[in-house]
Amino acid sequence: MRKKFVLVIMILLGAVLLTACAGGAVRGTSWPGLTADGTTAYLADGPFVYAVNLKDGKEVWRYPAERNAKLAFYSTPLVTPDGLVVVGSAGSDYSLIALDPTDINGTTNAPAEAWRFTGARDHWRAAPLALNNKLYAPNSDGSLYILDLQDGQSVKKAEVVNLDGRLWAQPTTDGERVYVTSLDHSVIAIDANTYAILWHEDLGGALPGSAVLGEDGALYVGSLASQLERFDPASGKHQPVLDAANWVWSTPSLDGDTLYFSDVDGNFYSFDVATRKLNWKVQPDGPITASPLIQNDHVLLATESGSVFAVDREGKVLWSQAIGGKIYTTPVAAGDLILVAPLETEFYLAALDPNGRQVWTFAPGG
Amino acid sequence: MKNKSTNLPAQSPVSAEMSAGMLKTVGIAALLGLIVWRWNDFITIFVNVLIWIYDIVGNNFGLAIILFTILIRIITWPLNAQQMKGAAAMQELQNDKEWQAVQKKYAKDKEKLAQEQMRFYKEKGINPFGSCLPTLIQFPIIIALYQSITRALASTPLDLLKLSRSLYSFLDVSSLIPLKSKFLWMNLGQPEGIPMPFDVSFLPHGFPLLALIVALTTYVQAKLTMPASPNPGDQTAAMSGMMSVYMPLMLGYFALTFPSGLAVYFITSNILGIVQYAMQGKANWRNLIPGAAKK
Repeated sequence: MRKKFVLVIMILLGAVLLTACAGGAVRGTSWPGLTADGTTAYLADGPFVYAVNLKDGKEVWRYPAERNAKLAFYSTPLVTPDGLVVVGSAGSDYSLIALDPTDINGTTNAPAEAWRFTGARDHWRAAPLALNNKLYAPNSDGSLYILDLQDGQSVKKAEVVNLDGRLWAQPTTDGERVYVTSLDHSVIAIDANTYAILWHEDLGGALPGSAVLGEDGALYVGSLASQLERFDPASGKHQPVLDAANWVWSTPSLDGDTLYFSDVDGNFYSFDVATRKLNWKVQPDGPITASPLIQNDHVLLATESGSVFAVDREGKVLWSQAIGGKIYTTPVAAGDLILVAPLETEFYLAALDPNGRQVWTFAPGG
Repeated sequence: MKNKSTNLPAQSPVSAEMSAGMLKTVGIAALLGLIVWRWNDFITIFVNVLIWIYDIVGNNFGLAIILFTILIRIITWPLNAQQMKGAAAMQELQNDKEWQAVQKKYAKDKEKLAQEQMRFYKEKGINPFGSCLPTLIQFPIIIALYQSITRALASTPLDLLKLSRSLYSFLDVSSLIPLKSKFLWMNLGQPEGIPMPFDVSFLPHGFPLLALIVALTTYVQAKLTMPASPNPGDQTAAMSGMMSVYMPLMLGYFALTFPSGLAVYFITSNILGIVQYAMQGKANWRNLIPGAAKK
């Protein structure tokens, strides 16, 4: 009898241990998504999407009103031209949800859903691209879902372009073509009107970041093959223009002829696209997965070590600010503020002034 | 000077065998402790071996899990053999006339019965933990494999970044990751289910074919290893009977709920277990025929 009891306890213990391993909608499973408009910051951080007032860092609303085991948010929200906040769920229901911030429930303080698209088969990790009243939404199931926003309130059907691999980055466009990067090592160009695949190129390493269009008309993208590649957007012909020390995770940022990007070894590069030569490289204090944020006379970068650095055009560090925790999310500029969303800190969002001084922090209550 | 050790009673071959068994038990317990203590390193080894196999077999993660399971089975073969040996010895004891008489005699004196039991264990060279500890080692392996599959498939950016840092330098990480999670009709990183023309609320992923195969193979394995016992009060046989019901249900539930990669492990492991028993001539095929075992 005692043996039977011990056996049942062993089985239950194993079951509990296994069940404990199953992930839920908890903060810290991945890094948050962050965007802002003129008055509000939108933070997708685990079980909730928060709207935060830029003036004082106070919560304006959150969605959903109550924690829902099927919903988890880590992708960057998109504010559409008509003011909806579109955010994809990395939870088990795989929904892409448009929230209407003008319709807030007085009791729950949650915004109403303008529409919800549930036709995808996997998690949403990236913001959609808005172009000509259409949303080009990349999903981890390897499909690009194209939703027509013209009839506004109900989006149930979508055009689907089946690509390979997980799509974790927001598509890029020049108006005619939409460029999609995939974790299956590919860059794909799609006709923005017919949705036909124009070209499909393999780079030998996964692409978790987006491509960026330069003023020279070329397309630039970094990959986990530790290279910066230059594409002819029309033909898809490409060549590596710079070898990085390690994986290039984030989307490069362009400022005129200068392209800034970083790698997960913590190197920060300035590359001249006109001469195709490296201007300089610095290594502040830790791995970098966030994209550089270009400001007036300097570039901001955030590191996994929890610091924000302002680097001038010559590669000199102007100031640095220790935020704490770990920063993987690209900082966002909102008026005079710089917004940073760290992980493993008591607060979820910090606002800095142009000199790096902390203005406010946001930690949700309840 | 007189050697005091000569005054000690000579150790019988039976008790020497038992000491060796106890030594093995202590060794397994120490191994379990080490695994728990260095859990993260243990998972890292699993992940690297899995991805190494994945690389060798042409980027097929399902095949990598199957081969990895075979590897685990080979490594734990001596443990399984010891478990079978221990279970057989316990079974033999349950059928022993003398032991049955002792059980009857001291049915109301639990303390005396326990003393007699220990004496029997000593005389027969049975290690009471011999069949239980090797089973225990399966649990950390199942949990580690579950964690290894989810870590290797890296479904979030943070997971992918962490994965890149836990891989050994001999692996060509950039070209290998992210791993391809498709195998046959399954996405190995998600629970399995075949789409159905209608929705069933408690089957959100569709028809759970793999979970049913897991339950079936677990049942077959449990039944094949169930010893035939003429003793109606045989505790070991009763426990085996109970296990043949609960284990398929539990593993079937795991297969229904957790990533299908784990179900692939369960099925492979069960089939290999059946093969191992059959190869050692210990599979009791009559147990699969309803009513046949009692004859």
